[in-house]
This record gives sequence, C-alpha cells and structure tokens, in this order.
Amino acid sequence: MVSVAQPRLGFHHVNSIRLSARAAGQCLDYAGIDPCDIGLLINTGIYRYRNTGEPAIAALIQETIGVNRTTAKDTDNHKNTFSFDLNNCGCGLLTALEIVEGSVRSGEIDYGMVVTGDAEPFHRLSNEFTFNSAAAAIILAGSGTSNGFSMFRTYSYPEYCEELVSSTFYGNEGWNRKGRNILNVMQKASYSDVCVDCAVKSLFKFLDESGKTLDEIDLIIPSQSPLGFTDKLKKRVGMNGNLIEIKKTGNMVFHTAGPAFALKKVWDDNRFRNSKNVLFLTTGAGINVSLALYQN
Amino acid sequence: MDWKCQIESIGVKIPGTRVTTPELMGKFKTPCIKKFGLLTGISERKICSSGEDSFSLATDAAMNCLSHSRYRAEELDMIINCSITKYKNGLSHLYEPSFSTLIRNNIGARKAITFDISNACAGMLTGVYIAEKFIRQGVIKTCMIVSGEYISNLCDHAINNITTSLSSEISSLTLGDCGAAAIIERTADKRKGLIISGFTTLSKYSDLCTGRQNRNSPGGKMKTRAKKIHQAAISESVPIVKEALNKCCLSFNEIKWLIPHQTSRSSIIAGANHYLNYFGEKPGQIVITLKDTGNTASTTHFFALHRYLNERRFSEDDNVMLLCFASGLIIGVVIFKMNEIVYRYGSTN
Repeated sequence: MVSVAQPRLGFHHVNSIRLSARAAGQCLDYAGIDPCDIGLLINTGIYRYRNTGEPAIAALIQETIGVNRTTAKDTDNHKNTFSFDLNNCGCGLLTALEIVEGSVRSGEIDYGMVVTGDAEPFHRLSNEFTFNSAAAAIILAGSGTSNGFSMFRTYSYPEYCEELVSSTFYGNEGWNRKGRNILNVMQKASYSDVCVDCAVKSLFKFLDESGKTLDEIDLIIPSQSPLGFTDKLKKRVGMNGNLIEIKKTGNMVFHTAGPAFALKKVWDDNRFRNSKNVLFLTTGAGINVSLALYQN
Repeated sequence: MDWKCQIESIGVKIPGTRVTTPELMGKFKTPCIKKFGLLTGISERKICSSGEDSFSLATDAAMNCLSHSRYRAEELDMIINCSITKYKNGLSHLYEPSFSTLIRNNIGARKAITFDISNACAGMLTGVYIAEKFIRQGVIKTCMIVSGEYISNLCDHAINNITTSLSSEISSLTLGDCGAAAIIERTADKRKGLIISGFTTLSKYSDLCTGRQNRNSPGGKMKTRAKKIHQAAISESVPIVKEALNKCCLSFNEIKWLIPHQTSRSSIIAGANHYLNYFGEKPGQIVITLKDTGNTASTTHFFALHRYLNERRFSEDDNVMLLCFASGLIIGVVIFKMNEIVYRYGSTN
C-alpha cells in the first residue's frame, strides 16, 4: 500500500514531521490494517523540521499516528514497533524497503512501513533548496507467493561524490540571515547528466544480474530528482510511457518521496498491478544508484 | 541458510583535549549546580579541538578498527554510519551525500554499500540490528558500523542557558566526544552469534529528550527531562530484558558483563537495583566507563567494550549484554558470547 501527502496550503512553513505522519496515517487507513501490527517503521526523509537530531523522526511519526506507543504489560502477546531514521539520499526509500522486505520475508514482522518526507528545515534559511515539501508512506506485507520484491542492488560511483553536497553553515551576511544556520544545497550543473550516466550503467548491470532484458520490464519507477533526470533517462532508455514521471512545478522537484509519488500514480491507475516486472530505479548523492525488481 | 554474526573487531578514537568537571563548573557565571561530579561519576570528558569533528572521529575510529581486524577496507561489504551528529569541517552539518559514503571513500572500502542511520544514542546498536539482518539473509558477509559524536558543543550551549539545577539542559553537561567503529562478520558458529532482541520504540516518551540544531548559533542543543526518562526506561525495559534472556536461555546471573548506556553513575546504579529487585539476581559486573569520557551518545557501548578488551578484562566465552536506552524512547538488547577477539587486544598486541 502506498500513500502520499503534500501541504494543503502552499504559503506557510511546512512541518515535515506532520506531513510524513499524515502520509503514514492515510496509508494505514487505505491498507485497513491495525496500526499496532506495524512491527518496523523507517523514516528516510533528509530535510526535517528544524533539523531535529533526536529522537529519530520515525519515533515522532510513530507517536503522531499512535502505533504501539508503549508496551502493553497486561498481555503476554503484546506487540512492539521499532522505528529509526535512515539516510541514503535519493536511494533511502529503496534501502529501507530492502530492510523491511527482509524482515517481513523472514516472518519477524507482519507489516513494515517506510515513510519519507522533506521540507525546508527553517523557513527561508536555505540556499538553492529546490525540493518540494512532500511526504509518502509505503506499507509492505508478506505476499505468501513469489510475487513482490525479488532483488535489490546498489551501485556506487564515488568519483562523483562532490556533484551534490548539502550542509549547513553559520551565516554572517544579510540582515535576516546574520547569525543563523543556513542550509546550503550545492548542485553542480553536470549533476543530472552524471546521474543519468550512472543510472543507465547500473540499470544494465542489474538486468545482467537478474537475467532479464529491458523488453521484459513493463514499468520503471524512477527518482524524480535532480531536475531533468527522468526526461534524459527516457531518451537514453527509450521507455517513454512506461517510465513514470510526476508533473513538475517550475524548478522544484520531489526528492526522497519522488519514487513513491510515481508509484502512487501507477498504483491508482492499476498499471502497477497489471505489470509483470516493475523496476524501481533511484539515484542519490554519492553517487549511489539503487535498483529493485518487483514481480507480479 | 540463516547465518549468524559476531563482532570481529572494534576501534575507537578519543579526542585529545580534556575538560575536567571542576573546569566545566567554573565556566558558569553563577554557580548553580552542586556535587555534579559526585552524582554523575564523571570527572572529565574529552572534547574535539580545532580540526576535529564527527567526520574525523568516525574516520579515525574506522581506521583503528581496521588495524585490529583481519579484513582489509576493500573487503567490507557494507558501512553504516550511526552518529547523531554529522559535523564536517567544524560545525557544518552534512546532509548529502551520506556520511558513510565519505567514510568509505576515505578508508578505501571500494565495494561497500553505504548508508546512514540515526536513532539517537541507540544508533550503533541499531546498526548492529540492521547488519545482523543483512548478514543473516546472506546479502553481505561483513559490515562496519561507525559513529563519530561531536556533542561537546551542546555543553557550551547549556552553560550559557542553565540558571538553576532544575534546568532541562543539565544532561548536556555529561556529554563528551568520541568515535567508535566495529566490524560485524558472518559466522557459522551459532553458539557465538549475536542475539538481537527487544528493539522497541516506546514513542509515548518521545518528548522526554529532544536535540536539534540551534537556529541562531553554531552547534546544537538538547533538552531532557532526566528523571522521567530514567524512570520510564527502567520500568519499561524489565519485560524486554526478561524476553531477551529467555530467548537465549540464560538467567540474569549468567550474564558476566552488563554494559548499559552510559548516562550517569547514579542512574545506572538505580537501574541495577531495580533489576535486582525484579529478577532476584544480578549480572557479574555492571560496566561503567563514564569517569574519563562522560556520556558519548551512540558510541558508549563500543567504547566500553574496546576499553575492557584493552584492559584484558574479558575471557573467551563470557556472556555480555549490551543494553541501550535512547531518546525515542528506544530500548534494545544485544547478548553475545565473547570470542577470540579477546586475544587481539591488550598489552601483548
């Protein structure tokens, strides 16, 4: 089950934790499962409300949606939830899905949830922050069949480590920024081209390892950032209608939640269920490329 | 096949600058805290000096870990950075790329998959939890978990804001900086494998300890309701510890070494007494390493293991329990039998 959330109003500062919790709550509603059955909750958002360091944002989401807030001491079969944050840039969603999938497959948990959401940490205290405020949640359950995720791989390209660097610095300039911690996102002009190169190389390595050909892939659900990534990838891979893109608004892109928004699109129009082989393809700073094969 | 995993090597990096508790108390304009050293058991902490930060601590700890290991950097399959703070180049907090990616590039672990996790002071044990999953499923054979905590800057913030002994920032005065790393490897010896149990987040208590970056000054700040979080951690952890002991068919007195999260001496002793009342038995020894380093957040368990290994206190086949409490509220238990790692540390090395 997948759910997404965006701010209801566009002109005020967005709390990434509330946004993520809204997506998580909706996802639980759609799935129709008891929230207490969620055994593992992983948050993969990077840009969080007021740069909260601890507790993990996942714990705050868990509290907001009311999943196993405390141990039930009066019963022997009480349920617990373990939650933590994971950062693997644009690939975090797939890394977290791999962890949850392993836990579900081994029977350790019945359901696991991956939540991801980004928003500007402090209003107007950032440079080049071109990521939409957006959040998404995905719940994984055991299929009991061979359907589902069958293979995960991550490929690294350390030579491009400095193509995207984002960090805070202590500002000394400007009347409204003097003495403030400013978030600075430095993205080289070549970043999207390099991402596409790395993604294409990784895609063919992955297909080799999985024994599939590109013709056998019915859908590709890719990262929606950096800007222009999906357009260029389409041209290189040539899967026009089956490489899913989300409508862009200006220069703003969907960051960690991008692949989940693309998944939501094909989930709602039933293309996901009707496709035999679905490929998830994510890229992130580092540069890392993560891929996963989902079979129906 | 379901594989087991074990700790193969541990490395730490302690920064060189020391700040004693009397020196720290001397920084207050109005003395408002009495007997801090006596209550916490902390006589000094080590802090980063110029040129040191979370990244340098983590990288140095990783190199130190490799120097004790049979593995070379290029043989590592996965690196997980588990620190709360991700300061690089002073107090500049890095978001992208992940810290672990930069550590991998620095130590030359070419083929390692990398990602960061963040789970407050339970970070490194959460790293063990994840590494165990990947190893058990046969995805990887070796994983380095690493953390560099540059948290002494929270102490600087607290000094400027504490006016009474009831301040919510008092706990920040216990903090010290440290880097730690450990390699977790696959083993076929089921007897010596790690037992990971009871990792639970009790989010009802998530507001009892919060830390975030300052808006108006470099570094961060932390606010804690110390008494409440201590009481919650102790009372809620009892059934979790009991379940973990049952899982490995051990009684509490068969645990030779209990290494809890290092917060303060008085709270560790109070917790031990609560366990004694409940279980009616106690572990061989409760490890407290606060005196020289303070609370080093996610690195405390592996710092304590490293110190006791170097002091040759462990014997092969000793049962060790790592018990984590962290803001969230996170409770987790790792139980294992000491392996031949005990021969690779200490004076003869």
